[in-house]
Amino acid sequence: MSAKQDSVDDLVKAGYEHGFVSQVASDTLPPGLNEDTIRFISGKKKEPQWMLDYRLKAYRHWLEMNEPDWAHLRYDPIDFQEISYFSAPKKAGDGPQSLDEVDPELLATYEKLGIPLEEQKALAGVAVDAVFDSVSVATTFRKQLADVGVIFCSISEAVHEYPELIKEYLGSVVPHTDNYFAALNAAVFSDGTFVYIPEGVRCPMELSTYFRINEAKTGQFERTLIVADKGSFVSYLEGCTAPMRDENQLHAAVVELVALEDAKIKYSTVQNWYPGDENGVGGIYNFVTKRGDCRGDRSHISWTQVETGSAITWKYPSCILRGDDSVGEFYSVAVTRGHQQADTGTKMYHMGRNTRSTIVSKGISAAHGQNAYRGLVRMGVKAENARNHTQCDSLLIGDQCGAHTFPYIEVRNPTAKVEHEATTSKISEDQLFYCRQRGLKEEDAVSMIVNGFCKEVFNELPMEFAVEARKLLNITLEGAVG
Amino acid sequence: MKHSASNWITDILQQQDLPPVSDWLSELRRKARDQANQLPLPRRKQEAWRYSRVDALLKQSFTPVVQPPNGSGLEMPQSLSPHVLVFVDGWFNPALSRISDLPQGMVLGSLREHLDDASVKAHLGSLANSGENLFSALNSALINDGLLLKTGTGTEVESPIEVFYLNSQAEQPLLSQPRNLILVEENSKLTLVEHFLPGMGNAYFHNSSTEIHVGEKARFSHYRIQDEATDAWHLSNIHLVQAASSHYHGITLSFGGKWARTEYKTRFAGEQAVCDLRGLYLVGDQQLSDFHLDIHHDQPACHSREQFKGLLHGKGRAVFDGRILVERIAQLTDAQLTNDNLMLTRDAEVDTKPQLEIYADDVKCSHGTTVGQLDPQQLFYLRTRGIEEQQAIHMLCAGFAGEIIEHMHLPHLREQAGERLRRTLDRL
Repeated sequence: MSAKQDSVDDLVKAGYEHGFVSQVASDTLPPGLNEDTIRFISGKKKEPQWMLDYRLKAYRHWLEMNEPDWAHLRYDPIDFQEISYFSAPKKAGDGPQSLDEVDPELLATYEKLGIPLEEQKALAGVAVDAVFDSVSVATTFRKQLADVGVIFCSISEAVHEYPELIKEYLGSVVPHTDNYFAALNAAVFSDGTFVYIPEGVRCPMELSTYFRINEAKTGQFERTLIVADKGSFVSYLEGCTAPMRDENQLHAAVVELVALEDAKIKYSTVQNWYPGDENGVGGIYNFVTKRGDCRGDRSHISWTQVETGSAITWKYPSCILRGDDSVGEFYSVAVTRGHQQADTGTKMYHMGRNTRSTIVSKGISAAHGQNAYRGLVRMGVKAENARNHTQCDSLLIGDQCGAHTFPYIEVRNPTAKVEHEATTSKISEDQLFYCRQRGLKEEDAVSMIVNGFCKEVFNELPMEFAVEARKLLNITLEGAVG
Repeated sequence: MKHSASNWITDILQQQDLPPVSDWLSELRRKARDQANQLPLPRRKQEAWRYSRVDALLKQSFTPVVQPPNGSGLEMPQSLSPHVLVFVDGWFNPALSRISDLPQGMVLGSLREHLDDASVKAHLGSLANSGENLFSALNSALINDGLLLKTGTGTEVESPIEVFYLNSQAEQPLLSQPRNLILVEENSKLTLVEHFLPGMGNAYFHNSSTEIHVGEKARFSHYRIQDEATDAWHLSNIHLVQAASSHYHGITLSFGGKWARTEYKTRFAGEQAVCDLRGLYLVGDQQLSDFHLDIHHDQPACHSREQFKGLLHGKGRAVFDGRILVERIAQLTDAQLTNDNLMLTRDAEVDTKPQLEIYADDVKCSHGTTVGQLDPQQLFYLRTRGIEEQQAIHMLCAGFAGEIIEHMHLPHLREQAGERLRRTLDRL
């Protein structure tokens, strides 16, 4: 092996860049799950009775459900009694009123992550509802958003301040009966983000939440709800990093999007949680339910995701195209290397007339990674002239990895048109040779080809995210080829 | 047990009084019988039965045919081939068949008559797994007769062999269960045509199982034309294994039956083999057509091509489930699967599920699926050329189906298929 190759290997083994643990005194519940756990969480948040009832209803339903086993994933069974269901960073007094009141160590953690709140205020123009473990600590740009009537706060806050909106929309897209992990989330969700964009408002900035799992053995159960009222627009960014851990951590989030008439929601994710070490030890278990409901005519929901982290990814951001002429989009890049496994894809339910959906999924598998696309396109009886185009491409790097495609297509309307294409191949020797011939190093050539492979998806990301995603992809794949 | 076989299977297994067979076969039957009693009923919750409901089938009771039927009322089917074999209710009927001179070493006829043959013992049940599902267990539990075809090494048979599966008239729905074994040995070349026809039957359940071994460098063309009665259930379970450099060319045309399912499970035993599978389904009111393919690439440098097309009219329902599995060892695999569906009417339904599962990196694999209706622009083009709408629709459908039909190298089969298609389209 050449010296150059060695240095690349060093880089690959360099470990997880964001792997540090900050010692913040926290208010953590001992592991275990029963009705008392839920009462504790609810009580801790001083939730009204109806919220507690909702949680208990979900918990009781969850008890009767079985963990799904249809995904193309292998992992040790999860012991739900070994997880601690609540962890909140200690608050100064009744909660910080400004950044000065926030635990300095917490702020330092953000600095390390590259999201200094004050800097972001000035530079990026991105409002951050920073979620540190489970409780929202600080929210910026609240006032500027409030001026145009946008509500951007934590779910806990929204439960108190906007109970009518929460009652109307929470669980209306992903009901607590939906699936095993969604039921668990509904029962124990710790916190999350609530966004409401009023009629006709174009949200003046990109909204963003950084998630960070920080408490050992703590499951993270985020709940996100975004409602875009008639004719509004919002672009929402979700990005994640997590410290290095030895034990598998469970993450079961639920994201619900509601788009009313003529509204558009763009939801972008860069997921880079700890994937486990090179032997497949540790890493995050990521079981997420994401669904958008295009409730109104001409509404539009677009999901873009770049998935490079987590030991296990189980995630199917979906669109219910209820309104006539509504549009659903799903753009995804999923990278698995080491012993990572991903079973991800989307569901497009076409219910309204002239509904359109586009699915572009790019899977990259390296080392022992297993990457599966699983998707459903359903053309309902009333979906006149509905259209879907699906493109799934897989790239294999190394002979120990796997790429799988499991699309389901159900058509109940003859005027609907569905097209599905999938290809699987390795990086073409010809392309590599061509680049090498032009003086490019092999790593650079591979990175260039892979970036080209993912271009369609990266183009859908907001600028800052696209840059980050490209960088992330390069770091992830360096040394994977050779 | 909560999900184990209900009365449906016990009723069928109770009724029979099987004629005795050799010990080894009795053992095979007994094992399958135990499995049949243990296996769960096919339900929508099971992935393999997600879209093809069998509730109606499981409500119907069937009488297994345990004695050779006399074939009364049936005539020898018209065929140009010198080798015509007729099976009635799954039993070989010599009176209706004709087998001309065969090349040296070749065996063609009833499986039942060759049960002591060493190669039958060695191969029967070697591919088909009776524990796979209830229907395969049922077939094995009541093995009686079926087609035996064994070529011998280096045998080339010029004229195609035509096999007809017919059914007797009966008051109670009958269960027909041919069990076929096909051994196309090294360097042989052969064409087999199977016709699945009603005969005198109307409501019956055809549950066949076929095991095919294709030897090194052998070439086997296998055409299957399913045109069962309107009230019939049809399930064909085909297991195929191909040795190095062999070539299997299979085409299934599915026209009849109210519930028709074809399952293909193929694998390779050597490199450089080519598997070419095609199918056409034409489904209308009260019909469901289902294709399940499991293409297992477990040897390097094999090539497989799967092309299936469907024409749906009335309230027809089609299900397609095709899986290509490429093992780590199977480098240099080239596998392509396509499924295209044309919906001619409002109430037709299609569920399609092409899958790729790939563990090797130096491969070329793809799948493509389309569902749609006739292109109005194409129709318009033909109309501007003075062609009537009905005629134009026929032309476009014939062109669509032609892509499968034209792969059959026997002209009379192409004509028959084209004629069958026209008959249905004329009625629309």
